[in-house]
Amino acid sequence: MSNAKTTTILVVDDSRVSRLLSRQFILHNHPDWIIEEAVTGEEAVTKLSSISPDLILLDVNMPGMGGLAAVVKLREISPEIPICLMTANVQDATREKAHNLGVQFAEKPITQARIDHVIAQLENA
Amino acid sequence: MIASDSSLEVQLALLNSVLKAARVGMIVLDSQERVVLWNQWMEQHAFCSSESVFGKSFVELYPELTNGRAHNAIKGALKDNFASLISQTLNKAPFPLFANADDRLVGTRIQQAVQVMPIDLPSHLPLQQHCLIQITDVSMAVAREKQLRDLAMELQGQIFADGLTGIPNRRRFDEHMEGEFRRAKRASTPLSLIMIDVDSFKDYNDNYGHQKGDECLILIAAALSRILGRPCDLVARYGGEEFMAVLPNTNADGALVFAESMRNEIASLAIEHAYSKVAPHVTISLGVITQIPSHNTAIPHLIGAADRALYQAKRNGRNCVVVHGDKPKTAASPAAA
Amino acid sequence: MFQLDELQHDALVELFNQGVGQAAAAMSQIVHEEVTMSVPLITFQSRAEVAQELGGPEARRICAVTQTYQGAFNTEAMLMFPEEKSLEIVRLMVGQSVTMEELSEMEQEAMSEIGNIILNSCMSTLANIAGKELHGSLPIYRIGTSDQILGSSDNQWSGMVLTLKIDFNIEKHEINGYVAFLLDTTALHDLQAYLQQYLSGLMP
Repeated sequence: MSNAKTTTILVVDDSRVSRLLSRQFILHNHPDWIIEEAVTGEEAVTKLSSISPDLILLDVNMPGMGGLAAVVKLREISPEIPICLMTANVQDATREKAHNLGVQFAEKPITQARIDHVIAQLENA
Repeated sequence: MIASDSSLEVQLALLNSVLKAARVGMIVLDSQERVVLWNQWMEQHAFCSSESVFGKSFVELYPELTNGRAHNAIKGALKDNFASLISQTLNKAPFPLFANADDRLVGTRIQQAVQVMPIDLPSHLPLQQHCLIQITDVSMAVAREKQLRDLAMELQGQIFADGLTGIPNRRRFDEHMEGEFRRAKRASTPLSLIMIDVDSFKDYNDNYGHQKGDECLILIAAALSRILGRPCDLVARYGGEEFMAVLPNTNADGALVFAESMRNEIASLAIEHAYSKVAPHVTISLGVITQIPSHNTAIPHLIGAADRALYQAKRNGRNCVVVHGDKPKTAASPAAA
Repeated sequence: MFQLDELQHDALVELFNQGVGQAAAAMSQIVHEEVTMSVPLITFQSRAEVAQELGGPEARRICAVTQTYQGAFNTEAMLMFPEEKSLEIVRLMVGQSVTMEELSEMEQEAMSEIGNIILNSCMSTLANIAGKELHGSLPIYRIGTSDQILGSSDNQWSGMVLTLKIDFNIEKHEINGYVAFLLDTTALHDLQAYLQQYLSGLMP
């Protein structure tokens, strides 16, 4: 993580409540960080051309371009960017897909503990 | 409700007798998932006494069931007050329960329908949430349904039989394959497929005539069917002179043995074939594939692999068996042309 | 006309998506296949409207798995598929071809368990936000026309049906079904109150 600029996190989720939760839990321990939001995969791709977040939290279950398709598109623009998939449906196939795509995943419901864990992994990278 | 005009001691004795007489398994777990009740039926069919299990937690008793369907149902009952149904159809026999000592030796479990229910406790008692696990032996119902299903399949036999040879047709193969593939995936067991093609069949037909060609296929179909023994095995006519065999629960070694037996059986029919490039009699080539299906494998992959193995068998000179994955050595082949 | 505000609606959709997501994970454990489920749409409708949408002009038969819940709020919850879809689901989950045109008794039990998993998962998320006890019954399997299943001929009942469209995906087969919660006026207001309480707790 760079010290030169403020840490920026991009939260991508079609649910407003989920975005609110993520925002709150991140800011709780890091009130100075910047939270950007996108409602769809397409919007996230567009945003990535103008901002460079340190981490993208990406909901898997979204209409249109779903989370998994979004990972591919986002990586085309920014191959090294850390991405964390958020899903309530964690099964073997999920772990395998995340591993193959080179992304983390976190389980929903979104809680303070789970967000803390994702950020800790980012800080240790 | 129990009649409360007798003393508590009598009521308790009565309830205990009822639990003893009940023909279903009953386990009660406390809020820490520890056993506090284990009835006679459980003692009899789990082959452990209630004393030996009291106070033990569910995962202590059944570590293999940790975080599985039953465990989640228990958590749901204790935490959320939800009742759960664990059907036999989807879960076969989660608990190690046996009809008798012989079955236990062999490992044949009772087929189980399980219900997990929260227990309402009177609020004036200092007791936390408990749950009841009720286990019913449904082995007979399962056997009955299998009979019905078999009967229905027999009646449907007409649709699924190949017109010429009488053995299962391709449609039947597709359907059977789907079922066995899924079953193998569920149970993580090996599934084997053998693709069989009659060597130089066109030459046979051209020279001996189509009637003799038909007779030849009928004999071959019968011979191939003779090799297979179990009800889950199936050999079907897949194309003009092509056959497919499905062998569930059969590993690579077993499949190879079957394939070789098939090849030998056809050779020993000694159907004269003066125009064969391979031998003076009709022969077959076989391609074998064995796999334990996982969530990212599909039936077409399996069939493709068998096809490639068969192709290699043809290239190796026909009248032989090739197992997919083996380098171009054949399992066994006589002197080929 | 009962209505949730935008944020309450959003929260409810998200809660149900989490619920069915967890149900999908549970089912994938059973079948060793990838299973995904989502709730693209929720609506509040009258019983007659739902019956019509489900039944279609041909009044086709519906398979339903029903459970009642009591406590934090009272509701009758149903998982519903048109008959041919329920045959497809059971065949996919059980791994056995359904030779007969109806579900056999054992197959009905499988369907009941599928309903049990999905309905309990959905209700679990609601129970969490209610923070109060909820007591759920065992599943009951029924088959009939949509009118029969929903009891839409009962004109005395004044409530609404919270309907969830479900996209169910197993082994690359996509099956669409419905989950419906029958909510009378009290239950509707209880639900709204719990959602508002949950949202208030989230706001800084």
